[in-house]
Amino acid sequence: MIKITDLEKYYRTEEVETIALNKLSMQVNTGEFVAIMGPSGCGKSTLLNILGMLDDPDGGSYVFNGVEVAHFNERKRADLRKHNIGFVFQSFNLIAELTVFENVELPLIYTGVPSSERVKRVEEVLDKMQIMHRRNHYPQQLSGGQQQRVAIARAVVNKPKLILADEPTGNLDSSNGNEVMELLTDLNEQGTTIIMVTHSEHDARYSHRIIRLLDGQTVVENIMI
Amino acid sequence: MIKNYIKTAWRNIAANKLFATLNIAGLAIGICVCITLFACASYELSFDRMYKNSNNVYRVNAQTSGEFNYKVWAQLPGAAGPAFIRDIPAIKQVARVLKHDFGAVASLKTENKNLNEKGLYLADSAIFKIFDFTFTEGNVHTAFAHPKSVVISESAKRRLYGNETAFGKIVYIDNKDTLHVSGVYKDLPANSTIDFDMIRNIMDSWAGKDAYWGNSSYETYCLVQPGANVGRVQKQATALINKYIPKKENRFITSFIFQPLTDIHLYSADIRAGYSARIGSIGTVKALLFLSFLVLAIACVNYMNLATARSQKRAKGVGVNKVLGADRRHLLAQFYIETAVLSLIAIVIGYIGCFVLQPFFQNITGIQLNVSELSSRPILLSLLLTWIVITLIAGSYPAFAMSRISPLVLMNKLKLKHSAADFIRKSLVVFQFASSIVLIISVIVILQQINFIRNKDLGYNPKGIVSVSIKSAQNKQQVSDFINDLTGMAGVESATPSQSIPGDIESGKSIKKLLTDKEGYPVRTCNTNGTIVKTMQLKLLAGTAIPETIAAGDTNCYLLVNESVVKYLGYKTPQDAIGRYVMSEMMPRSIIKGVVKDFNYQSLKSEVGGYIYYIMNKPHESLNTLLIRYNTRDLAGFMQEVQNKFKANLPNSSFDYEFLDTHIQNLYESEKHTASTATVFSMLAIFVACLGLFGLAASIAERRTKEIGIRKVLGASVPGIARLLTSDFLKLVIISILIASPIAWYMMNKWLTAFSYRINVNAWAFIAAGVMAIVFALLTVSSHAIKAAMANPVKSLRSE
Repeated sequence: MIKITDLEKYYRTEEVETIALNKLSMQVNTGEFVAIMGPSGCGKSTLLNILGMLDDPDGGSYVFNGVEVAHFNERKRADLRKHNIGFVFQSFNLIAELTVFENVELPLIYTGVPSSERVKRVEEVLDKMQIMHRRNHYPQQLSGGQQQRVAIARAVVNKPKLILADEPTGNLDSSNGNEVMELLTDLNEQGTTIIMVTHSEHDARYSHRIIRLLDGQTVVENIMI
Repeated sequence: MIKNYIKTAWRNIAANKLFATLNIAGLAIGICVCITLFACASYELSFDRMYKNSNNVYRVNAQTSGEFNYKVWAQLPGAAGPAFIRDIPAIKQVARVLKHDFGAVASLKTENKNLNEKGLYLADSAIFKIFDFTFTEGNVHTAFAHPKSVVISESAKRRLYGNETAFGKIVYIDNKDTLHVSGVYKDLPANSTIDFDMIRNIMDSWAGKDAYWGNSSYETYCLVQPGANVGRVQKQATALINKYIPKKENRFITSFIFQPLTDIHLYSADIRAGYSARIGSIGTVKALLFLSFLVLAIACVNYMNLATARSQKRAKGVGVNKVLGADRRHLLAQFYIETAVLSLIAIVIGYIGCFVLQPFFQNITGIQLNVSELSSRPILLSLLLTWIVITLIAGSYPAFAMSRISPLVLMNKLKLKHSAADFIRKSLVVFQFASSIVLIISVIVILQQINFIRNKDLGYNPKGIVSVSIKSAQNKQQVSDFINDLTGMAGVESATPSQSIPGDIESGKSIKKLLTDKEGYPVRTCNTNGTIVKTMQLKLLAGTAIPETIAAGDTNCYLLVNESVVKYLGYKTPQDAIGRYVMSEMMPRSIIKGVVKDFNYQSLKSEVGGYIYYIMNKPHESLNTLLIRYNTRDLAGFMQEVQNKFKANLPNSSFDYEFLDTHIQNLYESEKHTASTATVFSMLAIFVACLGLFGLAASIAERRTKEIGIRKVLGASVPGIARLLTSDFLKLVIISILIASPIAWYMMNKWLTAFSYRINVNAWAFIAAGVMAIVFALLTVSSHAIKAAMANPVKSLRSE
């Protein structure tokens, strides 16, 4: 599904150039659950941003589903993104002014799904995430675990092929964290590819494979058994 | 989709009550002011357009010669109108209009009432064909069918006859003429320049029948054939001057000017001797439009500022939406709709505000505005337009700036770049403050000028003089009995019968140095007697006052002249002029008895010209008013007693009086309105600008929370941090002052050129305005600065 080769990314200020990704290459197959680990500043988030087509690389190639996307402009990337990728964040990033239902509905609106269909699909996914009873609440009325469940519901409502999760349990206690990991595992078992950035060895154990980064390069790949 | 946008917009607005309130308040004030001023301006522009013939009606004005300072007069000789219709085929109708007794108030009497009427006119019957009159009694076609007819407006009818039918009733005028009412017409609209209350047939009077080319007192309206070339008509009319006025006579008119009816209201400020009091000025209309757009612009800028100031907070939302698949179009739509919702609320509030504040605004601007004017279709349409324009203008900057935000802000990878946005935001604040400061400086200068005029030595003392109308006296005896009665009365210092109060209805004449002089010197003349010096408290420079009475056989004309006349005549000192003879229009040989210091008989907008008080036997001008200098503590009781004596001596006349100082103040009515309009609207502009500054300060304090926390941990003091936060804003205000000052200086110098007696624009207006702006800005900003400075740094450092 994803093949990156010699990917480069620099951050420049007037005086310093920081290399975030240094000729990084990796591959993720459809249906995989991959964890990316590494110390702060190793380039995890940069990699995730590029994989999520939020940012463009400075060099190298990024093939998504057989299409070279490294040179895509923002509009094309956005288009590809909204149909194929769901995001889960550490800080949930729910929109405070919208209810649970409306938050989950948002991606469907942007992909132009008709209203009646939207209701059906949102209800379906809320049901699956066991958050249906909270559909008319606002995010700030929910616990952290519930918020992250909503965020996951929102990420999957469009049935993306790929979910990118950026430390999804980072703001949760361990029991809520485990619940979220179970959810992601379920999704993966149903066929969704998942790439997750994490600091937690415990969480990483849910994945099939761990990619460890240091200074913008892959250092080790562990295959989980 | 739209529903969703509106829902989100509404929640965003509701979630940020402070910002929403500031935004809506600013916009609502802007819109309220804008609608009101716009309605005033469009009302001023609507004058005379309701007449069916309005596009083909012209008032003919006269260009005068140097003798009359090349002024344009709205009044023509009585013979001009009939000559136009006789000799110029393109002119279909001509009506001459003459105010009763050349502008004096008429004293009316019915069976059971005495009253004064200011709006009595004499006119040719063509007036009913040129303008639209709707008759409710009688018939427009037969209005002047019988001699001694008068048609009256419905409000004049109510004054004269109450609710009774007026048709056929009798009205006595000035105890001389007996007329019968031949028609009643619906009141002319308030936005009609012609304001006749009563019209009688000019052909009943010598004024209509004995038309000659000498006296210029007739406003002359022409209905020109549609499509006619008015330039040619104007040339044909001017050619009649050569045809009808013999060369050897004084041709004081050099050409005729056809002024479109629809221009009269706004473009007549420099035209002399028009009858209508309903004269506006295009300058005022332009100023109103300018002010309304300025206030609206300030309000829009406010909105942009407040909206983008929140960009940091909203950036996350934008990022989330983008990650979820929103593209720029979606976000643009979202921001525009948010602006649209907010400005709609503001427009509704502002519009309601217009109605509520209408009496207040009317008081300030001096423009009578009907409430129905505010709900007229053009206003409603322009509201819709304003809504769209505000949404597009005020909404575009936040929409474009914020929809561009990259979703990477979510990953804390990208700090928002502030430099460009900050620069724009700062420019917007500078724009608001510079505009406000221009307004403040203008207000200060206007108030200084008005104060200067109010306290300027006029050369006489208008305080303590009451002018009582005596023109309807049946004979001279009544007047002298009345004066004798008053002379013995407590509180009366002197009483002088006079043709006119200063600057009102004197005669325009000319004097010549004996023989040698061809052109002459235009002067105002006023028939009176020697007590005028005491009554007016004129400053006698040389000689004596003119006699108080004149012996029956005396054929002299005695003159009391002002310095300007002496200067014209070429005498070195006032003393030199005493006893000299000059040629005046009153009498070929008139003798100068005294010289008074120049005094301002007109508004201080004009310079003092020549002025002559005279006394002679059988003067052309009658004594219209009695000037009484009083000194009393009980003015009400005093006036009651004067009225009693008036009734006793002039039983058939109505008692009509005016205080001279009030009369003088009224000359500056329009300036007073300019001042109050500028004051109120500049205050509103500053208020709105401060709203914006308040919001901006709040958001900047919020954004700098972390910086402040770090500074405090490192040992910065609370006042030090408050100073840090305020100094940024002060810089902006100072830049605004620098930009605003030259603009204000230029504008105010231009405004002051309208006055002959004017102050100089001095530095202190600028200093005061600057200090005011700084104080307002400090008051607005400091609360946030202090709050931010006092916050616990631990909290702010953890917030990341």
